[in-house]
Amino acid sequence: MHEVSIAQSIIEIVSGQCRKGGYRSITSIRVRIGRASGIMPDALLFAFDAIKADSPARQAVLEIEEVCVSGRCRDCGRDFSVEGEYVLDCPLCGGLAFEITAGREMDVTDMEVEE
Amino acid sequence: MTGTVVEKITKEDGRVKVKVVTKILEANDRIALENRRLFDKARVFVVNLMSAPGAGKTSVLEKTLAQGTGLRIGVIEGDIAGSDDAERVEKFGIPVVQINTGGACHLDANMIYEVIGDLPLAELDLLFIENVGNLVCPAEFKVGEDMKVMLLSVTEGHDKPLKYPLMFQESSALILNKMDLVPYTDVDISKIRKDALSLNPNLKIFEVSCRTGAGIAEWTAWLGEQAGKG
Repeated sequence: MHEVSIAQSIIEIVSGQCRKGGYRSITSIRVRIGRASGIMPDALLFAFDAIKADSPARQAVLEIEEVCVSGRCRDCGRDFSVEGEYVLDCPLCGGLAFEITAGREMDVTDMEVEE
Repeated sequence: MTGTVVEKITKEDGRVKVKVVTKILEANDRIALENRRLFDKARVFVVNLMSAPGAGKTSVLEKTLAQGTGLRIGVIEGDIAGSDDAERVEKFGIPVVQINTGGACHLDANMIYEVIGDLPLAELDLLFIENVGNLVCPAEFKVGEDMKVMLLSVTEGHDKPLKYPLMFQESSALILNKMDLVPYTDVDISKIRKDALSLNPNLKIFEVSCRTGAGIAEWTAWLGEQAGKG
């Protein structure tokens, strides 16, 4: 629901890097978004395109890499990954002693620029 | 918290790729840390109070203030518009600051930073930050709190923990409000407890009715202990 705030933060991060590096413009931006982050990729793309106009990212394409929720079970000792947004028990053995290792990511990873 | 890692790679076709590894919410997290530093310095324990609209955040605040905790309490009210909540809390003669987000669905760290100077921090032990009514976004934005507390009113239904897992995972305590209405609904309280605890085994759960006052004493006693620790 707060995809506009997230899009705004992405634009601030890449615009700062663009100024620092003295680049002319940004052509693409890659971000990693975990499935458990509460961010809907379609809504983020829509928000990004809606607000990018007055920034160095005005021509940039946003590429979203989704990251599955993953964990490690201490009962069966195995690593797992699920399609959904959360894990209530280990999908391999049903154990409850697990730790979540991925799925909450919200990172800008890289961008392509014109010099 | 990672800093920004920047590395420039020029590809053969002349295109330039810049590696920028940055957490999208890094700026918010940084300001939240600064808020936390200011609160810690003034020895103020801060609770970020979150729920869907109408679950009873302001009513729980009123009941908590009426119950008395022995603590000097201040409140920041976050709403999209209006100052109704601030006026309700102000009647208790405590410092209150109203933030209007003007449409934003959550409070962020900078909104809090901008009003910290309006509060007499040195005269407070506990600060409630009542977030914008929303079961999704507030859970993602740190504001400098010591702990997050969420409310769920029983009329919202027992499916909510699994539909909105993040807030249940992020909170230290869950207040189930409007317990007096349980007999008039089909809500399954044991399912709420089971799912919420599966998502967050450390979650402390309070069954409360602001209308009858049930459960308020247990909640305020626990809150007082937490604030004492902070």
